[in-house]
Amino acid sequence: MTAKRGKLANALGWSLVALVLVFLYAPLVPPAINSFRDVGNDGMFANYSAILSDGRLMAAGRTSLIVGLLVALISPLLALLAAEVVRVWRIPRLVLGVILIPLFVPGISMGVATALFFQTLGISPSLLTITAVQVIWALPFAFLIILTVMANFDPIYREAAYMSGANRIQAFFEVELPQIHPGILGAAIFSLILSFNETIRTSVVQGGQNTVQTYLWSQYQQVGLSPNLHALMTILIVATLLLLGLLALLDARQNRL
Amino acid sequence: MPLALIVVLILGPLAITLVVSFWQKVGFSMRPAISFENYAAFFSGTRLNVLLRSIWVGVSSAALMLLLAYPIAYLIATRLRAGLVRPVLFLFAVPFLVNYVVRTFSWSEILSRTGSVNTTLVALGIAERPLDWLLFSDFAVYLGLITAYMPFMVFPIWLSLSGIDRRLVEASWMLGEGPFSTFRRIVLPLSMPGVMAAAIFGFVGAFGEVAVSLILGGTGYQLLGNTIQSALNTLDYPLAAAISSVATILMLALIILWAQIFDLRLLLGKIMGRT
Repeated sequence: MTAKRGKLANALGWSLVALVLVFLYAPLVPPAINSFRDVGNDGMFANYSAILSDGRLMAAGRTSLIVGLLVALISPLLALLAAEVVRVWRIPRLVLGVILIPLFVPGISMGVATALFFQTLGISPSLLTITAVQVIWALPFAFLIILTVMANFDPIYREAAYMSGANRIQAFFEVELPQIHPGILGAAIFSLILSFNETIRTSVVQGGQNTVQTYLWSQYQQVGLSPNLHALMTILIVATLLLLGLLALLDARQNRL
Repeated sequence: MPLALIVVLILGPLAITLVVSFWQKVGFSMRPAISFENYAAFFSGTRLNVLLRSIWVGVSSAALMLLLAYPIAYLIATRLRAGLVRPVLFLFAVPFLVNYVVRTFSWSEILSRTGSVNTTLVALGIAERPLDWLLFSDFAVYLGLITAYMPFMVFPIWLSLSGIDRRLVEASWMLGEGPFSTFRRIVLPLSMPGVMAAAIFGFVGAFGEVAVSLILGGTGYQLLGNTIQSALNTLDYPLAAAISSVATILMLALIILWAQIFDLRLLLGKIMGRT
């Protein structure tokens, strides 16, 4: 009796999971469909080729790419340093908490705060401020990912390196890094994805620049969405999915080894 | 050293915002002062209503998100064989990582009068004419908020559920407790660190929302983030700073309260390993 009821409860539970997933994935579809509408006689990809001839959009695309790559480079490095410090020097959890704060501050508040911070320092809005606001956003995630990989690294190897006469730096580069580098690569890809995912914080600190994401946002507020913006959204979704696929591939290979 | 840089980069902006919130707006610029007029402007009239509504929307939508995220995390933590846990968690990470403003645009297409839901309903004869309450309504805003923030809430809840020592559950069974009371007295209390962390995340997200309320709620639908945005649009940085500071201080109070009750290292125990 209870076993039967348990089975029923399980089935209900998994149906809930499936239903929720349908709702979560549904929004990924419409931009692709809309991007192929209203193309007239200019061929299927008219909305996509229109992007190429739009100077402002191409500039926004360049900014998005450059900032994304910078964030993917800087966030994992800072996260790695922070994770090392937390592990080696047993830093109190207060510091740990500070790194996680950006997860819990509303996006627009963090944007306002960062904008005022740079204004006070006399740094005008630029690629630097955009990168900084996105690094702050990506850092907690990168930090958690790197802590996870480090947890799987047995410190006894480092001890062994010390006993064989290695100093701290050698022990890190020759013993620890080879073991945790897939995690760092994962954190880098994740940071790039988070950079593509960011709109609101960036829109406050960008000044005259635009990323693809903030361009979409300001166009929506000013004139609404046009067909080539749907094409742009589709590109953004596909790029994110490809990066996630890469991440999954990396993870699967890591688990098999 | 790098740690100091990180701390400055995170706390510096929040501290300066607090300072600027006491400044005065002069024309399109601002001047240092110790004035409470920004707070007075915030805690009165329509902005106060927006604050109260944001708190209500934040609390109620976070509660709904928990009602969804908890069973999902529970099933993943207890009913799934080890090899499938990561792939299923990954399925929940994917939509969360696609730009959420883009996902919100999509919802406005799906829910519009000419969107796929309405055309299907009319074609099937379920509705005579397109439903108006699908878009620019509380329904749309809650749907947008839940799909934006709920997926990430599965992770901390799963983390604390999967950290529970199975022997405690078995001991409870052996002492004659049924599955329901075991859940209520053992599993639920032990998963609270993850649940409360997730709840704070969902609450803050909904509370300070800008995009979902604008796109799915319509122009009249204001949450706290929208009042900050409109202060920015009129270049009133001191007011934006004051509202931001209120949001940040509220959030910090919640986090500190959380840290008083739970131990961060307990929640992250699995992640932190042997420290």
